[in-house]
Amino acid sequence: MIGEVIERIFESVTEVRDLMVECHEAARAEGAELTDTTLGLLAPDILELLQREGELAVGMGLIVEPGLLPGHPLRLEWWQLEAAREEPQRLEVDLHPESLGFYDYAAAKWFAVPRQTRERHIVGPYVDVHGTDRYLLTLTVPVEVDGQFLGVAGADVPITRFETLVLHHLGDSTGEIVVVNSEDRVVFSTSAEWITGSLLSGPAARAAARAHALPRLPWLLLSS
Amino acid sequence: MVGMLSDAARRVVFAPLDDSWGRGEAVARRLAGAIAMGLIGDGEQLPSEQELALSMNVSTITLRDALSDLRAKGLVETRRGRTGGSFVRASPVALAELSRQRLAEVGVSELRDLGDVHMAVAGTAAQLAAQRASATEIVRLRSLAVKVGELQDEAELHRIDGRFFIEVAAAAQSVRLTKQEIGLQAELAPLSWCLTGDDPARRSRLAADREAVAEAIAGRDSRLARELTEVQLAEDTQVLIAQHIELTRRRQRG
Repeated sequence: MIGEVIERIFESVTEVRDLMVECHEAARAEGAELTDTTLGLLAPDILELLQREGELAVGMGLIVEPGLLPGHPLRLEWWQLEAAREEPQRLEVDLHPESLGFYDYAAAKWFAVPRQTRERHIVGPYVDVHGTDRYLLTLTVPVEVDGQFLGVAGADVPITRFETLVLHHLGDSTGEIVVVNSEDRVVFSTSAEWITGSLLSGPAARAAARAHALPRLPWLLLSS
Repeated sequence: MVGMLSDAARRVVFAPLDDSWGRGEAVARRLAGAIAMGLIGDGEQLPSEQELALSMNVSTITLRDALSDLRAKGLVETRRGRTGGSFVRASPVALAELSRQRLAEVGVSELRDLGDVHMAVAGTAAQLAAQRASATEIVRLRSLAVKVGELQDEAELHRIDGRFFIEVAAAAQSVRLTKQEIGLQAELAPLSWCLTGDDPARRSRLAADREAVAEAIAGRDSRLARELTEVQLAEDTQVLIAQHIELTRRRQRG
């Protein structure tokens, strides 16, 4: 069921990915390249996905492989919903490498891991001091055409939304469950003893009766 | 996300003001803080007067007062015409002067109070970060502490130092502590120049201090991380108060 919730988010991310793939193929059909302008034209489609009813994500978009777009070494097309504002906002970050405030996205795990493995990835929970100042999970998938890496598509999901949905699904089924990420951080827990965001390692983790890896996720499910 | 705080911090800086008196001055102070923190860079154009006034929830008259105050301090330049607007001038001279002016304006008890709140927020953040920071976050904190020791530029040094505190709060996995820390850094940034001045000994001490906190967090020693943070901030406050007194006495004589 944790898998189901996650797969649902990844489905949206895949739709975002397809937007970029289609855009790339349309350009190629005309003998042209993907440009800053054509990528910008995807904004309404991304917004439509983001604002779809029942969508868990509060941020969605595309992060482009450095050097792919002519004249724009670094480029994001990322939109987010903010509680305080009605209209979605485009994420504006500092993309000047020489600047002290440089937003070095190529080094971020949510970009670097899918780029290297060509597999989807989840980062978090973490405090996003750069975007929405929320406590988030970031899910990303690589955007690839014929083996060429174009960037990643992704979604930001507040950990609370994810947790609430999983708890609803679980209902009153018995047994304690704790899910930890590859950094031993608690992602989800049915126990107030192991709180989301805390580190769970060593004796506590070993004390769990069963531990198994969740399929295609960098997470471990511990149960009593 | 690895990178720099930008949107979140800007939102704190451009958030509505909640106090009712001295609003023009408060707006000027908030914007000067953002410039000192490097959130608004040298040469960057500020949003239009209407936009800024709306976002900070003040009248355009109040905002114009604030801008003219910043112009007088040499932090903002207004150009007329079609490509006109207000542009940030973050020269080292203007920033150093801002720091001295700000330090002269505040009182001893205000400086003490600011230090007290910072101790509460940053001390707790350091304690929790020692319990909760991931290996990646520890690497980032260590590299920021090292950078504090390496930077030659005064403004960059204090920006990175402020960033260190914000990242400690993020490593504590707390959204609220992080927001508090960003708000405190906006207030502290204009003062921070007076913390080290050109004194190399004080600079290397600052770097060694932050490295010690990073090591305590890496060593999972939450009590030590808190204690070091509290001791360091109490010392910083003392330095600022000593300078404030000195500055005020000198201005009296002059």
